[in-house]
Amino acid sequence: MNVLIVIDRAPYGDWSGRESLDMAFSLAAFDKPVALLFRGAGINWLRHGQLPEDIGQKSGERNLAAAPIFGVSDLLADQQAASDYRLTLDQLLPAASLVEVRPELYRQYDHVISL
Amino acid sequence: MTQTSPLSYTLVISGAPYSSQAPQTALAFAKAATAAGHKLDRVFLYGDGVYLASSLVTAPSDEVNWTETWCDFLCDTRTPATVCIASALRRGILNESEKKRYQRTASNLADPFEIAGLGDWVESVATSSRVLYFLPAE
Repeated sequence: MNVLIVIDRAPYGDWSGRESLDMAFSLAAFDKPVALLFRGAGINWLRHGQLPEDIGQKSGERNLAAAPIFGVSDLLADQQAASDYRLTLDQLLPAASLVEVRPELYRQYDHVISL
Repeated sequence: MTQTSPLSYTLVISGAPYSSQAPQTALAFAKAATAAGHKLDRVFLYGDGVYLASSLVTAPSDEVNWTETWCDFLCDTRTPATVCIASALRRGILNESEKKRYQRTASNLADPFEIAGLGDWVESVATSSRVLYFLPAE
């Protein structure tokens, strides 16, 4: 069982991204292979230097930085989304890797989830 | 219609009643699947979907009470139904033990829903033939 969780909404605007991360961490806690793919506005989850304290929210950056330690195998960044937001790899979290999102990518996983 | 082998399903509902179609679409699917001989392993409420498990839902008399309708179906079919604890506590859905733990004045979890962690969902992903997600409207 190999799971891909897709996050395609910007951080802090609603709770779907945070609850998607909870799903990923739960799978990892039960030793189930899981990766995260950030598409569209969701690419902004991977930005360095998020400061959401002024709007009363916890930083998602800290969670994501710890993701590999907790067993989330990959933080995949859609290169088209990175390009749309003019983000380069050095502006993203170190664990992130750029990928081209094609059907073959999705076919590597038994389950693909997008809240 | 072509006959197929029975499958086992887990339904994840993450859209709230009365602000999304998710709970009633999921119920229609659940009824059709069980009528066709398939098995429902579990219903899992996540995100805003946990509002479906509030016993305080009070629909106007000429509208369907989706909480009661779902509860009747779950009891009739003896389908386990889990409400994600993290989603539920954030949104004010509490059972008796959480009410005591957090010293709140009331509990409101509708029977037969149970509060538990995402482990129930992980188990379903690993064991059900299919896991279907009923999401809120965009």
